Amino acid sequence: MSFQNIDVMTLNLPHKEFVGLGNYKGLFADPLLGTSLYNTLYYTVFSIAIQFVIGFMLALFFNKNFVLSKKVRGLILIPWMIPATITALVFKYMFSASGGIVDQILMDLHITGGPVEWLLHPVSAMWSLILTNSWIGVPFTMIMLLTGLTTIPSELYESASIDGASRWGKLRHITLPLLRPSIEAVLILGFISTFKVFDLVYVMTKGGPVDATETLSTLSYKLSFSEFNFSQGAAVANILFAILFVVSLAYLKLVKEDEVM
Amino acid sequence: MRKGWTLLLACVMTMTIVSGCGSDNTDGNGSAATDLPNVVKNNASASAGAQKVKLVLWHYYEKDIEDFVKKFNESQDEVEVTPNFVPFSDFKKQLTIGLSAGNLPDLVLVDNSDVAAFAAMGLFEDITDKVNAWADKDQFFEGPMKSGIYEGKNYSLPFVSNCLGLFYNKELLDQAGVNPPQTWDELKTTAKVLTKDGVHGFATSLLKGEEGTFNFYPWLIAAGGSPEKLNSPEAASAVDFLSGLLEDGSMSKEVINIGMSDIEKQFAAGKVAMMVNGPWQTTSIEKDNPELDFGIALIPQGKQNASVLGGENIGMIQGKNKEAAWKFISWALSADSVRSYEEVSGAFPPRKDVAADKKYTEDPSLKVWMEQMESAMPRGPHAKWPELSTALSTAVQAVLTGAASTTDALAEAQATVDEIMK
Repeated sequence: MSFQNIDVMTLNLPHKEFVGLGNYKGLFADPLLGTSLYNTLYYTVFSIAIQFVIGFMLALFFNKNFVLSKKVRGLILIPWMIPATITALVFKYMFSASGGIVDQILMDLHITGGPVEWLLHPVSAMWSLILTNSWIGVPFTMIMLLTGLTTIPSELYESASIDGASRWGKLRHITLPLLRPSIEAVLILGFISTFKVFDLVYVMTKGGPVDATETLSTLSYKLSFSEFNFSQGAAVANILFAILFVVSLAYLKLVKEDEVM
Repeated sequence: MRKGWTLLLACVMTMTIVSGCGSDNTDGNGSAATDLPNVVKNNASASAGAQKVKLVLWHYYEKDIEDFVKKFNESQDEVEVTPNFVPFSDFKKQLTIGLSAGNLPDLVLVDNSDVAAFAAMGLFEDITDKVNAWADKDQFFEGPMKSGIYEGKNYSLPFVSNCLGLFYNKELLDQAGVNPPQTWDELKTTAKVLTKDGVHGFATSLLKGEEGTFNFYPWLIAAGGSPEKLNSPEAASAVDFLSGLLEDGSMSKEVINIGMSDIEKQFAAGKVAMMVNGPWQTTSIEKDNPELDFGIALIPQGKQNASVLGGENIGMIQGKNKEAAWKFISWALSADSVRSYEEVSGAFPPRKDVAADKKYTEDPSLKVWMEQMESAMPRGPHAKWPELSTALSTAVQAVLTGAASTTDALAEAQATVDEIMK
């Protein structure tokens, strides 16, 4: 489909014109593709970083056996189970410029002088999306890492303590190396699910203000179903696919190296 | 290596989900296929072995359309129409998917700005001969009628019309001692006076996409501009006027991120003193805040009075049962049917004879709406209107957020327009 010329004029013709890489050329000539790609990467990298740091700390915390730790752990999973559209709607109201709770709290605490108007400025709109996504992604990261942590035998820590290892040393030399497969899996799965973000963006900003939060998947949707430019929409989807494919291959390579080790 | 392949396969499967339309595709077709018996011989029908032609109508209306269609089914025994609801957000998608997969209804009620695009795709049957032979054809208003024509041929007829007008909160205007504004200058000063104590003087949705274009259109036309020539000083003056309202604080910056129904909520809550919105919001306002005393006025005029035409057209799908479908269309658009439907739905008639009814000439707000209708211009009609629409609303957003100067933003939009028009 992405190699043919399919738009409103040609959708119903029996033979679609073959245009080779014409659609891709057209896309690469349009600065919007670059913007979307940059936005998607920016969004993914920061979302993953935040999710990973918070998720990792929570995982370490809940790995300790204290009262209620299992129950609270379960509760924390809730954000991950709520459909993304609902989360997006709720956060849209929270970040809203007129009476949104985020701006209200920041103003009441005198952190900001006036409303930030989160969704109305290019950079803050992007960060609103990142924060929302992190809220969804943290529990997932946490549970994945937690599963990894439980597989590390406690004898290792005991013997390390006997050898006089510090807390930091234990983390650095036992936890992190043994957790490596889990960390890799979390990062790659997180990357894939974050990179193809659609519902959050579509509900919260529709890719706006201007094109500040246009991502590859919203661009593909817009081209196909708002502008009826089906072949270019398909081309964007293929680019998205190619990127994720490469990421998956890299992951496979990593896994293999681990197995050799 | 085997493990590698399994993982690879898993990745590929994830990707199929990523591309999105893949999964939706089967869904849509599956439900569509069961809904679409074309012409079914119904020998069991009481009318002595007569064949009843069954037609399917896709719409995104409320339940009132079902009662309307029922009336048609009861009025004769040759054609039976079944209305099927498709959500508006999915409507265009379902139709395009149906078109490429060959699963389509017989009749559709579509947004009038999409008619040209669908006609270009070959979705609609050319009904020019039917329309020309129809005695009622001169009864339709020019704007709505034009929205159903593509390249000189009739592809659909207007069923329901609407346009945008100015809603104002009488209480807030009285307190401030001002009258509803009639010109852009008056709007600017009035909105400023009304802006205080957490109330914004004015609001109109400038969301990215068709909704934003729809709302920007009256200003563009009123300024003497045209969607085909966006780098004109007239188009610039329209954008500058709206961004001026933002700078004054008379309009919330939030208008670039909220839709017409959100603005209606703010108006009903008394947070916005004046808004540009459509007549279908009247019932919502009455429901959200029965106490609110509000009036309708014409959108303040620039160089000329202007509004934008909204509404749905009814068209028949190509290659289906033309005679039976025309039977329904000519019935649905007859003066009596239009009258009975507008009665229950609160929509506006596209017919002059119905609009001449006492109801429309005497009711004070309906009178204003009818007057506004006269200056309502259709969007397009152009097959690539949706693309043009994106360019236009993005340009407006770029100026309002300060991301680009008016000249630059409009020049960029014009480049897209040139690309489309060539």
